Amino acid sequence: MTGATIDHMVSLTILIAALMVAMLTYSGMFATAVDYDRNRQVANKAIDLMNTICLSPGNPTNWGTTNISLLGFGLNDPNVGGYALSPYSIMRLATSISSGGSPLVYYPKTNLYYNNLSANYGHGVFAPTGGLITYECAAELLAINRTYGFGIDIAPTIDVEVTPVTGLGHLALNVEVSGSGLPLSGATLNCHLFHVNELVVTPYSSVAQTNSSGQQLIEFETIDEDDAFSFTVYADLGGITGVGYYTKNTAGSDLQFVIPLIKNYTSGEVILAHAWDIFEDDSLHAEVQINATFFILTSNFQFQEYDLDFTSGPLNYGTGKPYYTTQVPVSEVGLLVVSYKKSTNEVGTVIMPWGVGTLGVSVSFDSGSTPSGYDFVATELRQVTIDGISYQVKVSTWKLGS
Amino acid sequence: MRTVEVLFVIVILLTAFVITTQFAVLPSPREAFGTNLRELSQSTLETLDTQGILSATVFEDATDDAWGELQKAISVSIPPNMVYNLSVYDLTANSEGVVTYELEHSISDASFGSSSDVASLMVTSPDVTFTQDPQTVGESTGQPITLYILNCGDSNGWWITGYTGQSLAADLHRLLSPYFQTTVLVNSTSELATLLNGANITSQVGEHVEDAVIVNTFGEAVPIPEDYCVGGSHQAEGYDSSSSTYARYFHTLGSLTGQYNWTWVSIVGYPFYYVTNTGYFDSVHNGYGVYGMEVIGTAGVNAFLQGLDNRGYSYDTSGTAAGVGVVQFTYEALDRCNYYGIYPSPYQTSSRALTVSILASYNLEQVAPVFQLKDNRIAAATFKHQSGNGALTAIGLTRIPDIRVAVLGLLMYYGPTVYRSEFGASGTSRLVTLQLGQQGGS
Repeated sequence: MTGATIDHMVSLTILIAALMVAMLTYSGMFATAVDYDRNRQVANKAIDLMNTICLSPGNPTNWGTTNISLLGFGLNDPNVGGYALSPYSIMRLATSISSGGSPLVYYPKTNLYYNNLSANYGHGVFAPTGGLITYECAAELLAINRTYGFGIDIAPTIDVEVTPVTGLGHLALNVEVSGSGLPLSGATLNCHLFHVNELVVTPYSSVAQTNSSGQQLIEFETIDEDDAFSFTVYADLGGITGVGYYTKNTAGSDLQFVIPLIKNYTSGEVILAHAWDIFEDDSLHAEVQINATFFILTSNFQFQEYDLDFTSGPLNYGTGKPYYTTQVPVSEVGLLVVSYKKSTNEVGTVIMPWGVGTLGVSVSFDSGSTPSGYDFVATELRQVTIDGISYQVKVSTWKLGS
Repeated sequence: MRTVEVLFVIVILLTAFVITTQFAVLPSPREAFGTNLRELSQSTLETLDTQGILSATVFEDATDDAWGELQKAISVSIPPNMVYNLSVYDLTANSEGVVTYELEHSISDASFGSSSDVASLMVTSPDVTFTQDPQTVGESTGQPITLYILNCGDSNGWWITGYTGQSLAADLHRLLSPYFQTTVLVNSTSELATLLNGANITSQVGEHVEDAVIVNTFGEAVPIPEDYCVGGSHQAEGYDSSSSTYARYFHTLGSLTGQYNWTWVSIVGYPFYYVTNTGYFDSVHNGYGVYGMEVIGTAGVNAFLQGLDNRGYSYDTSGTAAGVGVVQFTYEALDRCNYYGIYPSPYQTSSRALTVSILASYNLEQVAPVFQLKDNRIAAATFKHQSGNGALTAIGLTRIPDIRVAVLGLLMYYGPTVYRSEFGASGTSRLVTLQLGQQGGS
């Protein structure tokens, strides 16, 4: 009797142990299958989002050049189609709250905050936050609010770096072109210099080619190396185009004295604000004379001057000192070149791209936090063009909640 | 004994587990996603061809430097963990028109693993111009036909809201002149008088008054030379003194249309409703404040059709045209839209559709109807006289005029052939494929 009981107990224990091992093994398989299916859903959503963002212009299709609210989100350029993004729609994205985004700037004279889509200090697109498309708004329009998180990164495909070369007695700039970390030789360079003398901006153009190390020295023998200028260069290689720029002022401050702020997308009105009113830096304590010129960027990366209805005048900081307003042609991408003069030998320029591609501005658009806490993040990549400049778009997608 | 039985059960369980795991090979959840290589490849090809560089390069010799630049461009366009293979296929067409693809050149940076995808792009040589050459009207019969467009500076239009006769004349000239050997703008009513007298108004060699097409751009108003007005040398052919109307002028136009085998085109509205001459009728307006024209009314089109039918003039004010609302293109019109590349809306509103009874009343034949028949009325068609001499193309739509409908109606009537060069012709197009492969893990 006792032997049979022990036999039963041993056999039952072994059976339960075997069943548990089997169940654990099978549940592991099921968990893997469920994870795979869930990740597959996220991956499909990433493709879906990328297609919507890159291939749909949104609704209305011209929302980038209007102040009206959106019915559908998309960044495609309706005038070009295919894998081309609208340079104007991107300007309306609220990027300052994104991870790595430049902080908002406050301008007391309009009592408004401005999104800071900067290429560099003072050179970028400052757009009033009231007319911007926020991350939450985009998520709702993409029908993924509270179900999926996403982030968009739009960055130029090739890097073009410009550095000044001193000691030659005249203005010289070294242009270095690279992509994926490798120097690009044989790239055609369309160079444009905006030389500032007093308040007059004189454009100079030249064409060159990078050498075997992906570099080229651009020299302007008639221009002193201590002069103020803005310089842009468009590098083209085998159908891929990138842009670089460099600006120098002689006004005795590392900061620029004038900040252009977009006032109205539809009319193209731009405020020219004194930088002290925004940054309150002691080095900016001075009245400056300003002038504004607009240069339209043509399809072959040349600039054509466009007459602005703007009369040069003094711009001062502080209470009671008004700002200036000028108006750029809304339907033309290009550069607003603002020249300023603090004194006879202290001048500078600020350049603002109208259309993000003109200066190769990078854009990140997300909720402000990175998806590092999530198990699985799907990323989609595409090649696109913005104003003819080659960009890579990366859309990251992850599942929210459990 | 029980232990032995349990051991049997365990063996069965283990066997089931082994068999199951043999068949149920699940991928790792991390493998659920790999970048969509096909779309990345497609976007890369399109981006490379934005400025036509890809198109230019793939037609270059394999030793050309452009291939090296393309190779660098592809390398920087794709992530470092990807490899590519770009192949170019030449299209050749045999005499039967069967197109075959032959590998012309290929560049690659590594061999592919298991994960790869491909996209393709058809490119055309920048050295080849694809053309479409229209046959000119009358070319096939050796009977050159001249297009006259009324552009009279001394006339005003009506029912052409938003346009002037002159602006419409410029647009019509642009749209229609490729289809005619000779196009003449009739710039004044005095030039129109010359034309009505059967004489050329320019020194162009190809100008022929006979068999010509005359397009009236002034809508419901028709320019009238001063000679045909009261006191003019042709007053008897222009003015009906018994009814105090210029309806007789339209009878004269109808007669001349038959005599010279013209095709008279009324681009919009009620045909022949007003006469216009801003010099002669400078103090007369049409009842709506537009000076320089005098109203004729419904008698105008009746008088014209009487003249076209080669019968005597009688003042007839019976209503020939009326509104029928929204009308729809015929299937033939839709087909011709594609053929000629003209795309007006296939749905239009007709407020001046001619009644079908005019076909029997004036011995007319309806040719090339643009819209489907509605309420026994014809919104737009060409009415050709059964004798073969003379025709009226009447577009009885409401304002604002869409002259593309008039152009379509006229092209449907004459049916000129359009010769297009073929995209698939040998040496003109190449197929480019870009295969991308991902190395390492996803």
